[in-house]
Amino acid sequence: MLGTEPPQLNSTRSTDQESIFLLGHLMEGLTRYGKNSEIIPGIAERWEINDQGATFYLRHNALWADGKPVTAHDFVFAWRLVVDPANASEYAFIMYPVKNAEGINTGKLKKDTLAVTAVDDYTLKIEFEKPCGYFLGLTAFATYLPVRQDFYKAHADRFAADPQDIISNGPFILTRWIHGAELTLSKNPRYWRAQQIKLDRIEVPYITTDLGARYNLFRDGKVDTLGIGREQIDRALADRLRMQSHDDGAIFYIEFNHRPNRPTANLHLRRALRAIINTSEYVSRVVAIPGSRPGNGLIPQWVPGIKNRFREEFPLASHTQNIELAKNELELAKNELGGSIPPLYWLTDDGPGTARNTEYFQNIFKNHLGIDIFIDKQIFKERLAKSREGKFDIVSSGWGPDFADPMTYVELFTSWNANNNGKYSDPKYDAFIRQAQATADQQTRMQAMAQAEQIALADVAIIPLFERTVIWAHQPWVHGIVRHVIGPDPDFAFVTISKKN
Amino acid sequence: MIITDPTGAKKLDSSMSQNILNPQDFTLVIHTGPKQEIARPSLSYWQDAWIRLKANKQALISLIIICLLLLFTLIGPLVWRVDPAEQILSRISESPSLTHSAIVLPPLKPFVAEVIPTIEAAPQADGAILPAPTNLEWLDKPSVQSVRMRWTPVNGAAGYLIYRSLEKPRGGFWGLPVGTVTSGNIVSFEDTFNLKPETIYYSVLAQNGATSTHAITREITLTPGIALNEARVLQPNTQPGDKIDYPLRPFGTDYLGRDLLARLMSGARVSLFIGLFAPFISILIGIIIGGLAGFFGGATDQWLMRFSDFVLGLPFLLFMILFRVALGKGAGESGITPMLIAWVALAWPGAARLTRGQILQLREAEFVQAARIMGAKPFYLLIRHLLPNTFGVILVSLTFAIPGAIFTEAFLSFIGMGVAPPTASWGSMCNDGIQTFLTYPHEFLTPALFISIAVLAFNLLGDGLRDALDPKLRSTP
Repeated sequence: MLGTEPPQLNSTRSTDQESIFLLGHLMEGLTRYGKNSEIIPGIAERWEINDQGATFYLRHNALWADGKPVTAHDFVFAWRLVVDPANASEYAFIMYPVKNAEGINTGKLKKDTLAVTAVDDYTLKIEFEKPCGYFLGLTAFATYLPVRQDFYKAHADRFAADPQDIISNGPFILTRWIHGAELTLSKNPRYWRAQQIKLDRIEVPYITTDLGARYNLFRDGKVDTLGIGREQIDRALADRLRMQSHDDGAIFYIEFNHRPNRPTANLHLRRALRAIINTSEYVSRVVAIPGSRPGNGLIPQWVPGIKNRFREEFPLASHTQNIELAKNELELAKNELGGSIPPLYWLTDDGPGTARNTEYFQNIFKNHLGIDIFIDKQIFKERLAKSREGKFDIVSSGWGPDFADPMTYVELFTSWNANNNGKYSDPKYDAFIRQAQATADQQTRMQAMAQAEQIALADVAIIPLFERTVIWAHQPWVHGIVRHVIGPDPDFAFVTISKKN
Repeated sequence: MIITDPTGAKKLDSSMSQNILNPQDFTLVIHTGPKQEIARPSLSYWQDAWIRLKANKQALISLIIICLLLLFTLIGPLVWRVDPAEQILSRISESPSLTHSAIVLPPLKPFVAEVIPTIEAAPQADGAILPAPTNLEWLDKPSVQSVRMRWTPVNGAAGYLIYRSLEKPRGGFWGLPVGTVTSGNIVSFEDTFNLKPETIYYSVLAQNGATSTHAITREITLTPGIALNEARVLQPNTQPGDKIDYPLRPFGTDYLGRDLLARLMSGARVSLFIGLFAPFISILIGIIIGGLAGFFGGATDQWLMRFSDFVLGLPFLLFMILFRVALGKGAGESGITPMLIAWVALAWPGAARLTRGQILQLREAEFVQAARIMGAKPFYLLIRHLLPNTFGVILVSLTFAIPGAIFTEAFLSFIGMGVAPPTASWGSMCNDGIQTFLTYPHEFLTPALFISIAVLAFNLLGDGLRDALDPKLRSTP
């Protein structure tokens, strides 16, 4: 069951969770994620990676659903498409480790200069712009999936719009897609690992954001998996659902608009707002999904660092509410803003629990600081559009990781990132990120990213709120659903079904 | 006395023709008995209507309910002095309850998980089913703020899963996963998530690759408690350990621990304000336009009525949005003023048509003709004779328009175009409550009930008024 209609199944352009979930089942890249979220060979049988570049050796038995072999040319075509400015892919930046990708994407270089070559049908050679320590993880990401040139050309504008306009090379093929209502994925018999796939069909019979409706469908046995919201926890306990928790690596934070004409461009105001927030109370009483952690920084707990976890190597003091500090900073802000703080516009979407979250902060800001908050509630798509256009003072945002490295979080707040909606920009911050991107030396990279994080926190670029954990359940006859922090989540490729009782 | 009985008159005639009467035949009779009285006092139109309305039980009860609702709205907040925006996070989504007390809890010391350095953090997974941890014990003093626990580790564990449940775990059901410890040498855990004063069963399972099927379970009963910072909002100068009385929450609390009764009262102000004010103004405009059209007739009538037909065709929702934009109301600001303007601007043609029809009828009535012959000026005629006689119909249409307006406000607030948070209205409260309807039904049912009662009461009163005021029904007692 999905929350919303997948907006974009063209792998060179998709950005959202739903599309990435579907692509992960329909397609296979050079590598994919295994049962324990480790990288396993996909279309590539083996590979060699060094500081200058990488070579991938493709397996000869990998086929497209129509029987043609998957070749290195399909990857070259797809990757060129991603960085082509005409394709306007929001995720083009994830291709930047490949030599000349940034130059092509910004229009400075010609399209055919992308340093990816098909040495022969089954050998793919890549040159790096700079040494890249996490490149292997990228090859499992949706943007790096192959696209077959003749198929793409034949379907042109309609590519990936309907089942007949999509061609799979992965474990499943899309056999039915009634837009906005339902989807069916069937087993792909030509998939090279087909005999390991036990599931015949994945059905997405309902598309709805209503958690109450989803819960009822699960209880009636109409769907096999269920995400449980805060409001459903008590019911699920009474119904004795076998609940599990999954730390999905997503961070949630308050993003400020740093554009100069906005009141939130004022550092003292941002500091006051940060100081007044009691994140542990917020997480345990308002978010109230067990397992969620109060957010302290840009980089959450799970991310690997040099040897251990990044957070263990570069710890942060946990944030505590400080009403005195908040009031002092507010006075400073008032002086700089000409005597009073105008009402702030808080942009949010209509997802479950947004009323509770925003009204909680509205009350705190009003009670302690006397700041009025106008809540601007929009549907998800409109919220994305408005935050991109900068029509807000404060926006509640979340970010899920794309690869297992702190870079997936810290790059978000660089001045060149298309997803930096608040337009936070600090030359020192940018410089540290550039430094981390220029080397493969883990010590230097992590150090630079930790320093960048310190700068952003001192500047109150954002207010980290919490690291999410999701509570979910599945029917007792379904076994082997894998939850990934990165990649398609949930992953049904290893699922087996026992007899329903 | 005029004798109307034709048979009686005939009798008299016949006797008169047969006997000739002499003065002796007559004697003076002095009437000593009771004089004839007028049985019923003379009643004005309104007195008569009131008697008729009183006889209608439904309408009378509705009238009483409406008066009570008005009292609830106007006097309620003066008696029930609870801030509808005040959040008490330790009382989220509480069912209706009588007063109870809670112990003020000391501020929490930061929790640091206990690590036993002599144990391996991540041993090799061998797929064996691990035994249950032993000696599950509570640290500090468990409260509704936090429950802290520690256990004796299991050899070979790479981590632990902690569950909590409201019933004794059985058959592999452990309850809600409240946390995961991802290291074999960490042996303590803190649960802070939305704890309530009830009996909770905590279970701890070891895991290494496969999750163990054996758990240690221990139960704990939490007593009502309140965090110090929250207690100080209710009673300044409270110290940890004090017992404080929770304020009464007769209708329960909502998803942020706000008092539902106080929110219903402040919500009623919005709902009834729109409900009474919008129809009143729009009908006033309708009377003026309809009165002019009906009285002057001809071209004036044509123009005014065609204009009202045009207005009748305009879509309300669209105009409400247009007025929002025109008034410069940004997103997140209250939509009550644009809603009021849109209603007044678009809802008057109904009343105008009614008034015009009545006036057209009355204009030719004898009493108006008589007044005209006696030299009454048009304006005097309109004010003294015509409009008062349309009031019955107008009043009925007013009472029927009120529930419509209440409903529109509720609907617009429900879809997020009405009041802006934290202001509440019955409609927005329904919208908030419906998300938790199956878990905490009181959050949705109370405001829904208030909307239903108000709308029903106004409808039934309208019905009763129509029966009482309709001239066609006046002849029947």
